Amino acid sequence: MSPLELVDDRFGELARELHAARPVAPEGLRERVRALAPPAPRRFELNLRMLVPAAGLAAIAVSLAVAGGIGVLHSPKSTEHGTIQARRPVARLAAPVPQAESKALGQRVFGATLAPAAGRLQQYDANLTVRVDNRDDLSKTTQDALRFTRRLGGFVVWARYAAPSDRGASELALRVPVDHVQQAIAHFSAYGTLVSQRIVLKDLQQRVDGLTARISRLRAEVAALKEQLGRVLTPERRALLEQRLQRDQAQVALLTRSKAASVRRASMSRIALTIADRPKPAAAPGRLGRTLHEAGSVLARELEVLLYALVVAGPLLLIGLAAMVAGRVARRRSDERLLERS
Amino acid sequence: MTLRRRISAVKPSAQDFAEAAERHLDDVHAFLVYLTGDRNVAEDLTAETFARALERWRRYDPRRGSARTWLCQLARSTAIDHFRAEERRRRREGRWALDTPASEEGVFGEGLSPELERALSRLSASEREVVALRIVLELDGESAARVLGISATACSTRLSRALQKLEREVSADVAA
Repeated sequence: MSPLELVDDRFGELARELHAARPVAPEGLRERVRALAPPAPRRFELNLRMLVPAAGLAAIAVSLAVAGGIGVLHSPKSTEHGTIQARRPVARLAAPVPQAESKALGQRVFGATLAPAAGRLQQYDANLTVRVDNRDDLSKTTQDALRFTRRLGGFVVWARYAAPSDRGASELALRVPVDHVQQAIAHFSAYGTLVSQRIVLKDLQQRVDGLTARISRLRAEVAALKEQLGRVLTPERRALLEQRLQRDQAQVALLTRSKAASVRRASMSRIALTIADRPKPAAAPGRLGRTLHEAGSVLARELEVLLYALVVAGPLLLIGLAAMVAGRVARRRSDERLLERS
Repeated sequence: MTLRRRISAVKPSAQDFAEAAERHLDDVHAFLVYLTGDRNVAEDLTAETFARALERWRRYDPRRGSARTWLCQLARSTAIDHFRAEERRRRREGRWALDTPASEEGVFGEGLSPELERALSRLSASEREVVALRIVLELDGESAARVLGISATACSTRLSRALQKLEREVSADVAA
């Protein structure tokens, strides 16, 4: 349908006349237009419609490349990662001693620490924790500790061996003749890495000497009482002396048992030995996984920065956009007024 | 359709420009004659419009409208620049009254009645341009509105008012 047909019937004749008499471009103008030479091709034409998406894509590509590059460069190698994981718990417990050094150190450390004094009765308590490499070593060293204790003339008070799936340990309460305690500690320390060692020495000689003196005094008193009872005495006096004799004899027996216990205690040292195997290192993520993790972190940081920039620059961008729209509207109105005047 | 074919279908070539210029030269010229009311100025502006069009031809996107609509938009903006420059010049030189072109015969087309010619010259450029687009060039309402930068409804209203005024002027001239 021709636009002319849409015009009100009143203006039909007018419209037809206008259309029929439409101006035609003169031949001179036609020649001028034909003669227009195309502009020299530009090497680089700034086209915002293409530039903005291209800049956006370039920014995304650069962000991904930076994130990927940092992810690859900063992700630790798997062996380093595993070592770090395995060492952490040990570092928290005590400064680890390598196994080869630990054997020698067992001798040196022991020599430098408390040793039972020869000729004196002493209570000797030792607490050792040794870490072995694996579950097999744990089993072997536990059995060896039991055998070695017996070979030294000692015995096992109690033993506990637990080896669940993740981590195993054995705890042994041992009694070793004090003459062989240095040998035992050196032997146990050499099982693996010596994690901790605690030795407590308590002198019992004075106590035993005191008991011996008291027992001697009481025995002398007992002998004196027996001599008095051999004489002629009044019944009351005899009853009193017999009562004192019984009391002193009971006291002597008690002190003698106590002295014997102290001497026994001084003859056997107490060793609490804990043997544990190394915890299995946590399954370290693969290199690709770590790289992706690092890259994800960098991307998240970039998004944070972008969000920050948007929050800061957002109001300014909105103001700029509003000014641009207002400028266009003003220019359009200005154009309309100009055409109204012309 | 491959990407290269799609691009070549969208991206106009120099050959396309030559064809479009040949086909739409009369339309652009007629539009500018109506807009300026001066054949000489219209010729200069037509040449300038096509020179600009040739420079920007690579940016023309056929999907966004016909070549005729695009050329008319370009012609209108060229004419507005001209009007603005002329206004500045007249204001500077104080020669507005002297430079107002006297009505000449046969400006808006060969064979127009003198009454209609005079009536057209009494319309404003804004009124003549909508008449040119809708009546002379027979553009549809959407395309004419796009050239003028207004809505189709506003374009229709403007055309109706322009024609009413034109008829009044013609009637008044005949009566006189």
